[in-house]
Amino acid sequence: MNTLQVHGFLSQALIVSDHNDFFGPSSEGGGSWEYTELGLNASFRPFDNVLVAGQVLARQAGDIQRLDEVELDYGVIDYQFFNDVETTAGVQLGRFKNPLGLYNQTRDIPITRPSILLPQSIYFDRTRQPALAADGATGYVERLLDDGVLRLQLGAGKPRMDEQSEISAFGRDDLGHYAGDSSFIGQLRYEQSGGRLIYALTYADVNAGLNANADGPGDGNFSFQPWILSFQYNREAWSFTTEYAIRRVRSSGFDDRYNYDFTGESWYVQLTRRLDDDWQWLLRYDSLTTDRSDPSGHDYASRTGLPAFTRYAKDWTVGLQWQPLSRLLVAAELHNVEGTGWLPYQDSSELRTQEKYWNMLLFQLSYSF
Amino acid sequence: MRQWLRGSLLVLCTLVATVGQAEEADSVVLIANPSVQRTTLSLEMVRAIFAMRQRTLPSGQAIHVFVLPDDAALHEAFAKRVLGVFPHQLRLAWDRAVFSGTGQAPNQVADGAAMLRAVASTPGSIGYLNPSSLSSQVQVLDID
Repeated sequence: MNTLQVHGFLSQALIVSDHNDFFGPSSEGGGSWEYTELGLNASFRPFDNVLVAGQVLARQAGDIQRLDEVELDYGVIDYQFFNDVETTAGVQLGRFKNPLGLYNQTRDIPITRPSILLPQSIYFDRTRQPALAADGATGYVERLLDDGVLRLQLGAGKPRMDEQSEISAFGRDDLGHYAGDSSFIGQLRYEQSGGRLIYALTYADVNAGLNANADGPGDGNFSFQPWILSFQYNREAWSFTTEYAIRRVRSSGFDDRYNYDFTGESWYVQLTRRLDDDWQWLLRYDSLTTDRSDPSGHDYASRTGLPAFTRYAKDWTVGLQWQPLSRLLVAAELHNVEGTGWLPYQDSSELRTQEKYWNMLLFQLSYSF
Repeated sequence: MRQWLRGSLLVLCTLVATVGQAEEADSVVLIANPSVQRTTLSLEMVRAIFAMRQRTLPSGQAIHVFVLPDDAALHEAFAKRVLGVFPHQLRLAWDRAVFSGTGQAPNQVADGAAMLRAVASTPGSIGYLNPSSLSSQVQVLDID
């Protein structure tokens, strides 16, 4: 049997905000159209227990990423080498998607998201690139129980760094050559009653190194170590989802200005309600604290002179999704935000002009096949 | 009076027959190509197969999954009553597999007749059917 499959998706959003820019000039005039996603993937099974799959992705997200920078999103050989009545085990080699929390592996595909933007406290667009995928190997074991499935996945590889993640780590992107080092990820997941209840625990140890320019802050390392607890309860007409993350962020080996070590905290609660087969609404509260020892950001403000509200974000979101055709999705959502802790920026001077209270309205049209 | 009684009886019979048919219409069984040697599968394995996470049977034989469209009554009956999941959850599981490189989508066929043809002619295939559409070209699998 021919097992070749080709699938893809495209999406276009319009983002309008009253203050602060998200993915392009959203606070100016008619808003920003600079959020576009295009993906195409192919897969086939050359042998009974082997899957080969790859996806290319083009994405415009303001100035963070441009549509003509097409990237290999994932490219794997998946070999399911063990399979008996209760256990399946396999390994993926290549560029694999990181199982970070519930949504990371398909974070760029609108039909797999409950909202246009995923909760930014955990699924930061600032650090999307290193969180997304790694070049290396990952192994998984799935154990079938009486009324549930236990799945363990462990991966090792090199994350991919980009300008935005460099800015996120150092406040600028011109210090030298910044690249991923050996990193690890593990997730333990339990799904009960065919996914009615889902529990997951994720840990990652993401590392990168900076080879500084001669006039830079010296060579050093950056590390990011999140623990994420996830829970989802699914009923026919509604789903309740919550995730909690505690994230240690460290940079060392540089001049004092660029060394830091703090632990951030993120969590959200989310309710989605299906009105019928075509309509769904969402209500979510999402909270980010950049540094747990300074939740209000006041210490940071007195140390740096930058606004305290750049160190946290509290985001209320209401959203609506409509599927007039089975593969066509129309979505709208409104964010009411205090703080700019997860707002992407290009230059730290922008932090001085950000507004503390802001609202953002998004519309998105997407199609997948 | 006799006429009225006879009429009522006829209506009643028709009603019973219709209700019987309605029950019949969404009764559903798991089927497989005759090449599949295992005749009983655990519920969790059937869930793993239809969620597209498991690609081979314990014997090593490759599995090919066939399904009806999401809005087909028989698909909904199979998802809810046999798997104990909602059709939209299955669709989400397939989309997540396809767009993360961890699995493929199932093969979709238009109706019961196409399902029977596909499963009868594809070694290692698994699907579902209304018992009234069964033929000797496919075998019914038990779920324990």
